Amino acid sequence: MKESLMDILCDPLDKSDLELEVDERDDDEILEGRLIGTETGEVYPIEDGIPNLLPPDMRDD
Amino acid sequence: MDGDPPRAGDSPRTSGDSRTSDDAPPPSDDPRATYDAIAEHFASTREYPWPEVKSFVADATDDEQATRALDLGCANGRHCELLSEHAASVVGLDVSRELLREARKRATERDFDVSLVHGDAARLPFCDETFDLAVYVATLHHLTSREARVDSLDELARVLRPGGRALVSAWSTEHSTFDETEGFDTTVDWTLPGGERVPRFYHIYDPAEFRVDLDSSELTPVDVFVSSGNCYAVVE
Repeated sequence: MKESLMDILCDPLDKSDLELEVDERDDDEILEGRLIGTETGEVYPIEDGIPNLLPPDMRDD
Repeated sequence: MDGDPPRAGDSPRTSGDSRTSDDAPPPSDDPRATYDAIAEHFASTREYPWPEVKSFVADATDDEQATRALDLGCANGRHCELLSEHAASVVGLDVSRELLREARKRATERDFDVSLVHGDAARLPFCDETFDLAVYVATLHHLTSREARVDSLDELARVLRPGGRALVSAWSTEHSTFDETEGFDTTVDWTLPGGERVPRFYHIYDPAEFRVDLDSSELTPVDVFVSSGNCYAVVE
């Protein structure tokens, strides 16, 4: 995902802001990392460049 | 699905039929597992945008570029590709990780830009008033409860900008596949090339019920119609 996507993403649970942590990037593309709900503390992984913003009850992990 | 000639893979049945495969298919009421299982074959049969979607996008944009467009339930991204011709940026959301991979493959092969997000249509991870154009096509009918379906319509209303427009579609009892005249829940198998059948949950809408669900949501219907066996609504 591109970092500019942060402008429109929010926590699916309460629509609060997300914080971005990057582990790996390729130019402006974030490949691995996580998005963290600033209110909920929920951790949403970015895997292979695609943020997984499924609510926790729909995730495998 | 619905209205995609030829309808490769689709094979309606009643949910009580016995299964022919020893491998337990994913439960039909979990669209994520279902579409993860059939993603590659499904994507290969979904080549062209629907004509109803093309004309909606052309009318809604009136030859002016939208700023930000959303394809809700984007599957292999065929409508993301269409939206990318009419919007400065496009976001595609789907519940199936494997379908998102197919969408990325398509975007790379055909050289269009789309931001892909893994998420749930009934609990969108987007800020209020983000999109001025959206399509929510052939996805609503996979949500198993009416509550989730209306929630997803509310979520679409929340992320649309004032004056923004969206097209919503769902499979309808008006389709020649069905004898029923009232909306109902059913299971429609997807048949993989090896013969394995993967059940998919559908809520088949009758047109009056589709209208009721729209009116129960925060969306404002502008035009509601049936075409090619699908219920459609242009909404704001």
